[in-house]
Amino acid sequence: MAYRVLIVDDSPAMRSFVRRVILLSGFELSECFDAGDGREALSLLQHEWVDAILTDINMPGMDGEEFLRLLAADDVLRSIPVIVISTDATQTRIRRLMALGARGYITKPFVPETLRAELEATLGVTVD
Amino acid sequence: MFFIECLSDLREFVPEPEVVAGLTFDGDPAGELELKISASAARSVSADFLATDEADLSEQEIHDVVCELANMICGSALSRVESAATFRLSTPRIMDSARDIATLSEAAASASDPFFEVGDSAIHAVELGSGRLVVSIHTEKLKWPLFPR
Repeated sequence: MAYRVLIVDDSPAMRSFVRRVILLSGFELSECFDAGDGREALSLLQHEWVDAILTDINMPGMDGEEFLRLLAADDVLRSIPVIVISTDATQTRIRRLMALGARGYITKPFVPETLRAELEATLGVTVD
Repeated sequence: MFFIECLSDLREFVPEPEVVAGLTFDGDPAGELELKISASAARSVSADFLATDEADLSEQEIHDVVCELANMICGSALSRVESAATFRLSTPRIMDSARDIATLSEAAASASDPFFEVGDSAIHAVELGSGRLVVSIHTEKLKWPLFPR
């Protein structure tokens, strides 16, 4: 199955890296969208559906926390699973993001296997 | 995540062009982090990170990767601090290498320990395969150790 994924991060290098790791993990992507912050992501989601969102927290403009709040407040978009990818490994932050609706949380730096495992768990699939 | 090998602590200091990235953070404590990396190491790290040939890299791509590296090191270090406050990191940016961090490599070269302090900054310096990387964290209120030993 091919997936439609949205990567939200203000770092072009990180967006490129995450896309590459997803592909290396064996996930087939029919579409891979990206956005530089939450506002840009929400705008894109007005006309594109995705199977999963991977988002950073610290971003200029709309950060990851506000993005998650607005996703959760939307009757349609709240069903899209979100995985947070952040440098912040504090339990305070992780608990808060999970309470806001994140399905997974990956701390940077990470190895490709970690992202693969989170995506498999979030999407409910196993990739060969 | 960065597919590089840290060869050792410090070797003889050989001056070469460098890339400097910096960011500030709010929280308890607030402060700033500066990362200084030799141009050759920055190019090598960027090629690994973006899975491309060094010759194909643009200066902007190298700057993006160095900024992301600074972001990751800062977030990782701050996650070690026991703090009730949540840290908020600014967007990393490339800085003028002529700033005061220019003295850090010289200080690193004369230090016997890769972890040391200059004034109220904690500094960690290492050799990558292709050059030197120096990280400095300065906070208004010291809560060391930020770097793992």
